[in-house]
Amino acid sequence: MNSVWWASEDFWRKMAVWLTAVMTVVLILLTFDTVKQITAGSERVPAYSAINHRIYYRFDSSRNMQVPVIGDSAPLFGTSLSEEDAEALVSKGKLTTQAKNCMNCHTLLGNGAYYAPDLTKAWLDPAWGSEAAREQLMVNFLLDPHTNARGYGTGRKMPNLGITEEEAHGVVAFLKWMSTIDTNGFPRNFTPISQEGDR
Amino acid sequence: MNAGIQESSNLTGGQKLAVKYYTVAVVLFVAQILFGLLSGLKYLQPDFLYEVLDFNVTRMVHINAMIVWMLFGFMGAIYWLVEEESETELVGLKLGNLAFWVLTSAVTVVVLVYLFVQVGPAEMSTIWFIGEGREYIEAPRWADIGIVICLLVFMYNIAATFMKGKWSGISGVLVLDLVALAGLYVAGMYYTPNISMDQYWWWWVVHLWVEATWEVLVGCIMAWGLIKTLGANRKIVTTWLYIEVALMLGAGILGLGHHYFWIGTPEYWLGIGGFFSALEPVPLVAMVVHAVYDSGVHGSKNSNHPALAWLIAHAFGNFFGGGVWGFMHTLPQINLYTHGTQWTTSHGHLAFFGAYATINIAMFYIALQRWRGNVYMSAGLPGNGWKWKWALSLLCTGVVGMTMALLVSGYEQAFVERALGGSTWAAYFEAQRGTWYVQGMYWRQIFGYVTAAGLVLLIWDLLTIGLREKRSMVVPTDHVVVTA
Amino acid sequence: MLEPVELNNIMIAVIAGAMVVLLGALYAFTFAMGKMNKKRWLIGVSYTVFAGLAISVFTLAQSLNLNGYWQLVTYTMLLGYLLAPQAIWKLSVGTHRASD
Ligand code: HEC
Ligand code: HEM
Ligand code: HEM
Ligand SMILES: [Fe+2]
Repeated sequence: MNSVWWASEDFWRKMAVWLTAVMTVVLILLTFDTVKQITAGSERVPAYSAINHRIYYRFDSSRNMQVPVIGDSAPLFGTSLSEEDAEALVSKGKLTTQAKNCMNCHTLLGNGAYYAPDLTKAWLDPAWGSEAAREQLMVNFLLDPHTNARGYGTGRKMPNLGITEEEAHGVVAFLKWMSTIDTNGFPRNFTPISQEGDR
Repeated sequence: MNAGIQESSNLTGGQKLAVKYYTVAVVLFVAQILFGLLSGLKYLQPDFLYEVLDFNVTRMVHINAMIVWMLFGFMGAIYWLVEEESETELVGLKLGNLAFWVLTSAVTVVVLVYLFVQVGPAEMSTIWFIGEGREYIEAPRWADIGIVICLLVFMYNIAATFMKGKWSGISGVLVLDLVALAGLYVAGMYYTPNISMDQYWWWWVVHLWVEATWEVLVGCIMAWGLIKTLGANRKIVTTWLYIEVALMLGAGILGLGHHYFWIGTPEYWLGIGGFFSALEPVPLVAMVVHAVYDSGVHGSKNSNHPALAWLIAHAFGNFFGGGVWGFMHTLPQINLYTHGTQWTTSHGHLAFFGAYATINIAMFYIALQRWRGNVYMSAGLPGNGWKWKWALSLLCTGVVGMTMALLVSGYEQAFVERALGGSTWAAYFEAQRGTWYVQGMYWRQIFGYVTAAGLVLLIWDLLTIGLREKRSMVVPTDHVVVTA
Repeated sequence: MLEPVELNNIMIAVIAGAMVVLLGALYAFTFAMGKMNKKRWLIGVSYTVFAGLAISVFTLAQSLNLNGYWQLVTYTMLLGYLLAPQAIWKLSVGTHRASD
């Protein structure tokens, strides 16, 4: 018996090819736009020199979510960096996270492993206590996670990963910069550390 | 598998090569389970091997071993079938063997470096020689390049064999799919300080592999399997392969958006990712109709019971792991809270095992049957086939049990840490201490041992099934189709 | 605008989500069996299952606050789950007839 056109091998070969092609083209077009919007220096993904500023995470009622807000000057480790130097420092930190395989214990932007806390807003975490002490406490923690361990009664500790002082500074810069990324409200209900200029 | 004792004369050159790939696949499967058990144990006893073999190392070996054993399994399956499908001999058997040894040595070196070097300084040299620290694609850059070269050799071998012999619809889809699969891997070889950009491309590899190219690859292997072992009609099978590709990729490519909700990417991805991934289960559901149609229209006698049982497990596993577990957390309204919790692990385990471990195991049995001389593998095996039946039951019970345990933990984590606690350091640990969460972790470990027991039995069965069998294979009549 | 699920609705959303896909499969199965064995009552059962599916979809939509744009997702799901199995049935008959 003759095949009906909509059930023929030929028709479905064409459908498979066309649907795949159309979806791929749409994905590529969206990719062009997305890449533009997530290049560092854009509105959603700020320039690396944002680490020279105080970072807030505030509720925006028109978007119904918390959004990062870049505030007044608050240089990291007391030195304001040029755009290139800021990028180099953040890059050092990002490279450290890859070289030490942080992502197989922690999540970054919610992706990775679930053995340790999410680091998306680690810079703003209230557990650091005071804004003034924070950056040094973070460096200390990374250099010596034993002595500074908390674990909150679970016995779980971060291992000493042989991080150098320079790498630790880079990591803190990277974490500070990561907290400026507009993540559409993830994590929600996060209570940031109290900082000067809080409203 | 004890290659020497076997009747390798039953096999073609490509099939002998396939057996090598399968052997390494099984070894890596064992490594995956061992390191999974170690990783799980660390949740219960954090001091165990602390600063000797930390969680990040055990977990990396666990998931890398999984990716690599499944890829080895797929390559084996393709080498297994290519000569019959193209009706000619493999063009580059020597080259194929060389690529196999190069790939296997590279994998060995990478794992040894993971275990004994573990981490490096924050320099590009670490990325090149130790590891890239990006989940699933941690392999160092030198190995990436080696892997791509071996994949290219593999693809040349397959495509050139079809070119010399003859093409078919299935082989056309297969070769195009392999090109996409290898091309996507290249999207993962790239360093940037920008974490949003990093994860944008990282998901191209991870999602577009497991929810697009791997699904299609499995579709091709299934299609062949159905024609070769169950005598299904080629024209119909090919048409259905096209239908599946259209539906899967029609939803799956833009379904990628479900990973672009929270990584800095624009808000339109909430709508796109939500829409397309909400539709991803629809083809899985609809294919139930075709399975019913096929099994009803044709009665069947099938030649390989263990393989068929694992193919059925694949259909269910893909449906539950991808369809049900994937859909439950895919809309951004809920993913906001489940994102990056044990919930994700629950889905990851059921989906990877259900969709991809199962089909690989089915192919192992299909290969063994031929290897041992087209032996009988239908009903009434010695001991009523208890080994394969228990292996199947234990493996499935183990993974389903782990999935349920992780769902309980994931639920409490999403609730306590993500929703109530706002995902701070303290909130994270509050959830980790929760009674339900801790219970879930214990049960995951217990079911992990069940899974491991299943694997031991599976290997025993693979080593022995059909060895002393005198009866020969039942000739398949008509067909049963398990699609999804 | 995204309105995340309310805390009290998480459990409902999870169950409704699972029910959508499971009833989708059950609808497809009963529908196909009914067609296969030419049993009208089974087709009837399949539409009853579909009604359950529709209730699950609406429960899901309500618990996840799927309003505005998100209604498109709700209705596309309903339509997709309703029609896809029927289309696949037609295709099954069509493809097999074509090559026999
Ligand atoms: C073996 C697993 C493991 C690895 C690898 C690891 N961490 Fe941790 N990390 C932990 C654990 C566990 C905690 C919780 C420690 C505590 O509470 O004392 C933690 C805590 C932290 C904290 C404080 C928690 C917070 O929310 O701010 C930061 C910051 C941190 N890690 C950063 C890193 C960085 C950066 C890397 C990579 C260079 C890394 N970690 C690698 C396990 C790990
Ligand atoms: C067989 C196919 C599939 C496999 C093997 C698979 C596997 C995985 C794995 C391993 C992850 C975790 C990734 C990570 O480490 O972060 C994941 C995440 C995810 N999957 Fe799937 N998946 C499949 C199909 C699906 C389908 C069909 C859907 C949707 C309907 C889906 C929805 C999701 C979502 C939303 C996430 C992100 C979870 C999060 O936010 O943490 N998956 N998948
Ligand atoms: C003995 C049984 C197993 C145990 C105890 C186990 C344990 C684990 C653990 C502890 C993790 C880390 C999760 C985390 O970050 O908290 C993990 C991750 C993972 N495992 Fe297993 N596993 C086992 C078997 C398997 C099997 C059979 C598969 C699939 C075939 C698998 C696939 C995965 C995947 C895909 C991930 C990454 C999940 C994600 O990121 O969401 N595992 N496993
Ligand atoms: Fe995905």
